[in-house]
Amino acid sequence: MFSTFSQLKSLDEYFLQKKDSFESVVMEHLRMNGAYWGLTTLDLLGKLETVDQDKVISWLLQCQDESGGFPGNIGHDPHVLYTLSAVQVLALFDKLHVLDIDKNDDGSFSGDMWGEVDTRAATYGSAAYDIIDTIFCCVGALAITGSLHYIDKDLLGWWLCERQVQSGGLNGRPEKLPDVCYSWWVLSSLILIDRVHWIDKGKLAKFILDSQDKDNGGISDRPDDAVDVYHTYFGVAGMKNSRVFSFLPNEVDKAVGVCSDTSGEGREVGLSLLEYSGLKAIDPAYALPVDVVNRIFFSRK
Amino acid sequence: MTEELNSDETNGLNLLKQLEHILESDTLIDEVGFIHPSQFAALNDGSSDDSQYDSTVFWNKDNKLAISTDALFPLYNAAKHTFMTTMKLYKILISSPGEADTNLDGMVTGTISVSGESLETEVMKHSKALLLLSWDFGTAWNSRKLVVLKKQQFLLFMDELLLSALILSYSPKSEHAWSHRRWVIKRIDGKCPNFQDLVERESELVEKIAEGKGNISLLLTAFSVEFLQKSKMNYRAWSHRCWLIAYMTKEQVRNELNKSRKWAELHVGDNSCFDYRQHLLHRMLEHSYSKLDPSGSSYCTPDVYHFWMEELDWNEMLIKRYIGRESLWVHRRFLSQFGLKHFCFTDGSWYPCGVDIDNFVRGEFQLFQSCLTISDTGFEDGQAQGLFAAAYILRVSKQLLNSGAIELQEKLRDLGALKTALNQLCPEKTLLWNDLIGGVNNNL
Repeated sequence: MFSTFSQLKSLDEYFLQKKDSFESVVMEHLRMNGAYWGLTTLDLLGKLETVDQDKVISWLLQCQDESGGFPGNIGHDPHVLYTLSAVQVLALFDKLHVLDIDKNDDGSFSGDMWGEVDTRAATYGSAAYDIIDTIFCCVGALAITGSLHYIDKDLLGWWLCERQVQSGGLNGRPEKLPDVCYSWWVLSSLILIDRVHWIDKGKLAKFILDSQDKDNGGISDRPDDAVDVYHTYFGVAGMKNSRVFSFLPNEVDKAVGVCSDTSGEGREVGLSLLEYSGLKAIDPAYALPVDVVNRIFFSRK
Repeated sequence: MTEELNSDETNGLNLLKQLEHILESDTLIDEVGFIHPSQFAALNDGSSDDSQYDSTVFWNKDNKLAISTDALFPLYNAAKHTFMTTMKLYKILISSPGEADTNLDGMVTGTISVSGESLETEVMKHSKALLLLSWDFGTAWNSRKLVVLKKQQFLLFMDELLLSALILSYSPKSEHAWSHRRWVIKRIDGKCPNFQDLVERESELVEKIAEGKGNISLLLTAFSVEFLQKSKMNYRAWSHRCWLIAYMTKEQVRNELNKSRKWAELHVGDNSCFDYRQHLLHRMLEHSYSKLDPSGSSYCTPDVYHFWMEELDWNEMLIKRYIGRESLWVHRRFLSQFGLKHFCFTDGSWYPCGVDIDNFVRGEFQLFQSCLTISDTGFEDGQAQGLFAAAYILRVSKQLLNSGAIELQEKLRDLGALKTALNQLCPEKTLLWNDLIGGVNNNL
């Protein structure tokens, strides 16, 4: 077994932005999302403390725009999509207080920070990869605002279940190829409307595990493709959602490398093999570990 | 203050200058490709005629531009750096126009001029080069919006559509490029004399890009296989087309319905086009309602009704021709829902633009039975057909529960058979079928 995180120094490099190829720099505009995906995955694995949080937070604060919002990287224009990721990263580290909330008079997180930011994020925070993430955003927003009774749960649940194809994976629309990231979008929505038992969880778990790079760690969109941080996050988060971990320890042992790079290509990603120590539960609406969400709610005045 | 540049940076800036020179001298470029350096020899063919750029890095002819993959990294770094520096100056300028000159004096490096006009030109020039290399660089798109909005010249808006189309031709799923188009269209709506022509061309552009007919004919890039895969089932392109419907006239909606039928037939596996037709049908219905007199004395909408009937027949024909295609069944599901809501009646009030609900249900059950027969053959497609048909009938039944359809009540007495069929065809979803059929049973 590898000593854990020997290669995680590449996560540091990630924040220092030492990049030497076109493929890696050309994605730098969405580094804030990459930070959220990578760090949440680490936290789910119980390994967040291996990251130099001062470095992450100092980078993150350098990103902040004078309007209060956050961009994808230093010097870029702020956007609610990245602002959500930034707040989520701060929540992971229990550092929400570093934000000067009063300063943000554009409304990005004034007042009740969580209600405000998450509702917006659930509504706008997706780049609409497909119709499914739009559904997730709507269901998530309704869940957060306590309005799930507006949904015909049987009808929506039925449609979501139809996303599961023969291989066990889920697709985003009829006749599309299955993709690991939908494990998150579909499963979270199904859990929120209490219809997750309609899906074949065993087959889905197998599909996610088949999508790993068993030599180097990490998870790709579907079996035999190149891994990246986005799909690793959704794969790990999705697996936790499918609650099938009782028979997974050995597999996860080999499987869940965590990446350090948001290039989306996984080429020079330093993936590390982790010692499995169980996964934390993730909240299906807030997309953060449950203990982080609880910490925020219970510390609220 | 002038920073010391190392040789890599100097090289990058040189390349950027060459690229921007090409972009300025050939404003009609309609194809860009990133190609391996070894491919340049064949392209150049010993006839490099422009000494303004390095012919081992760039190739530009007949409005086509090729860039060596070796140059992308230094080129990108230079483009980004130059753009960010220019943008910083421009932001200072627009935030405090009066003091701009004095503020800027201390910051300007040799090449960049301080006047607002020329700074705007610089922003446009550098953001264009940067976006060609990194098309989801949102900040660069935003900077162009800022300048174009300030200048308010119609032709500049048109230029934005050209740049976005160029980028979409090789990056057909670029969210920023699509969204930039919507921004332009919203801005020129009502200010442009040939707006409806523009809407029509926009719709054609989506179709071209969705078909993968972006310009990859000449420049066989390393990415071309990937490109073809990417251009298929392009959700963003089709969402854009659906968004466009709101800007179409009644006539255009009708034409789009007629024109897109052929495309859908040739791409029965792509549900996007069916989805587009659904949006068009909805729009057509809205148009026909707004035509009604305010008293609401008539609910007759013959044109939409006939389109719906035709669509239903056409869809059945496709279902029988292409066995086991999910998109076709999803479309039928929409059609039956749409029809049941607007054109199906039980009390004889339906003539001349409606159908009797029992007749409709009978027809759908016949289709279901015939598809179930095919599924007995044991072929995979046939099995899929049976499953889709059974799930479809279950959906229709659920919808009809409270409609008073007599025919249905009789049919549903034998729900057990439907349940058996579903569980046989798709045993892994047993829990789903049991819950759903249980739900229907309880409401009978």
